[in-house]
Amino acid sequence: MKNMIRLMPRTRLLVLMLLVGFGFFACASVPPVPAETRIVIFHSNDIHGKIDNFAKVAAIIEAEKKSGVDVFYFCAGDNFTGNPVIDQYDPPGEPMLELLNRLGLDLLCPGNHEFDFGLDNLKKFAARARFPLVSANIEVPPGSFPQLRPSVLLKTRSGVKIAVFGLIQIEAGNGLPSTHPDKVKGLRFSEPLAKALEMKKLRTAGNVLIGLTHIGYDQDLLLAQQMPELDAIIGGHSHTRVDPAENVNGVLIAQAGSDNKFLGRVELLVRGGRVVEKKGVLIDLKGPMAEDAVVKGMIARFNQNPAFAKVIAEALLEITGKDALGSLMTDAMRQVHGLDIAFQNEGGIRLNHLPAKITIKDIYTLDPFGNQVVQFAMTAAEIRGLIESSFAKGGELDLQVSGISYVVRSDSAKHIKEILLRNPDGTPLAEDKKFQVGISSYVASAYKFAHQDPGRSLQSTTADALIRYLQSGVDLSIYRDIQRAFWEQIAEAPQT
Amino acid sequence: MQIKVNDQAIEIFSGACVKDVLRKYSSSECKLVQKNEKKVCDRHGHEVGLDGELSGGEEFFIKSVELVKVKP
Repeated sequence: MKNMIRLMPRTRLLVLMLLVGFGFFACASVPPVPAETRIVIFHSNDIHGKIDNFAKVAAIIEAEKKSGVDVFYFCAGDNFTGNPVIDQYDPPGEPMLELLNRLGLDLLCPGNHEFDFGLDNLKKFAARARFPLVSANIEVPPGSFPQLRPSVLLKTRSGVKIAVFGLIQIEAGNGLPSTHPDKVKGLRFSEPLAKALEMKKLRTAGNVLIGLTHIGYDQDLLLAQQMPELDAIIGGHSHTRVDPAENVNGVLIAQAGSDNKFLGRVELLVRGGRVVEKKGVLIDLKGPMAEDAVVKGMIARFNQNPAFAKVIAEALLEITGKDALGSLMTDAMRQVHGLDIAFQNEGGIRLNHLPAKITIKDIYTLDPFGNQVVQFAMTAAEIRGLIESSFAKGGELDLQVSGISYVVRSDSAKHIKEILLRNPDGTPLAEDKKFQVGISSYVASAYKFAHQDPGRSLQSTTADALIRYLQSGVDLSIYRDIQRAFWEQIAEAPQT
Repeated sequence: MQIKVNDQAIEIFSGACVKDVLRKYSSSECKLVQKNEKKVCDRHGHEVGLDGELSGGEEFFIKSVELVKVKP
């Protein structure tokens, strides 16, 4: 090159330099692109540890790549929580990391459940991920989480630039994503739609502008209304099946349901440096189709999670009967979450005994429903109402309890006459106080009882509480002969 | 938070998901959705998953499978 320049006449060199200079400045404002580029973006969201369809996803992505178009794969968050086989891996969520790396994921917008295993675990996940995490409304202390960026600029092979920013949902009440507040300590979150407005500046940085969001479909609609600069929103959080993708205010909105049942496919045609055509569909992953053999092997290996067979606690004898198991489960809820009282319905206790050597698999057999712990501030009268509702369901005791004991007194027709609530020392429960009560999300939604406090999920399952309680080394001998819920039939006055 | 199911306002704990509010609306309807005999759609007609996370003010409708919006 040096020699070529030396051989050029001075005037031609000057013209060339001017042209190159002009081209450089032109590049800075409008990226140079070929006449036409077709881009395919596959997308998943809210996979929640459901890995079984990944071999199909891998095969679909690979086949598309072979067709010659530029292919990307985005994930709109919530890879963890929802499949104990994956969630109980050591380290937690490891299979998701290995599979997403293998599939060549390009971008992940963290969802609220990315934080369920704690910030340190997410940082370790990000450090080993071959893809960046993107979220504009998460603020981290400088240098503390280098893999998390507000936005990224991707490029096709032909030089088309795709600017993508991420957004995570926050709850109206506490301004935090829906996970346990302890899991996001040290992070600051801002309102996603307000933050998105700051991302308008990306419009000039890329030929394509995409919001990769975990804010739910309703919020995606608002985002499209306020930001027509966007070419597409690829969303998650609300588990909405948007098929085909919708054009709202000129913005394509896509979301692929949940649980890896569908793979989203967004196709963009870029002509003259801007998107001129866009569409999106969902590919149903149900039924037989081509599978990637390597990924299939990984899935089979991950499904044999050795942590499931790990003994987490040992008792001298089996823990037998609903009273003992219910007491154990409610003690776990109460202790782990620092509650005053906890209840568990008997229908949610799916074993009659736990073996002396208790494994994680045993816990998920005992408590397989994935119910969350929900906290309510309740008075003694409200607690009675809950017990009354449970007794009325089947005319028998149904709720196991921790933190108090209770006696239901009824007549022979099972009409409740009185419910006595007692502290562990036998004294009556205070009537003028509010107690922090933990209930499974099933009881909280299926039982009819009055409560002033609307309640809040603690974003942690009842099974998780039991695992943590057992891992704390609790003395299991207390669950041999234990009963905290009693029914008494009161003598009826003789009719005169 | 308040969620509407089939036009009926339901008060449900914060952090609840779609199946929680369906169950509070009607256990039997929730079971039908769980058995895939019915579907639940948002106010825009899109099917939503039972574990979908809720925000206050959302609205859902339980529909028979045939009535759920299908690909044109």
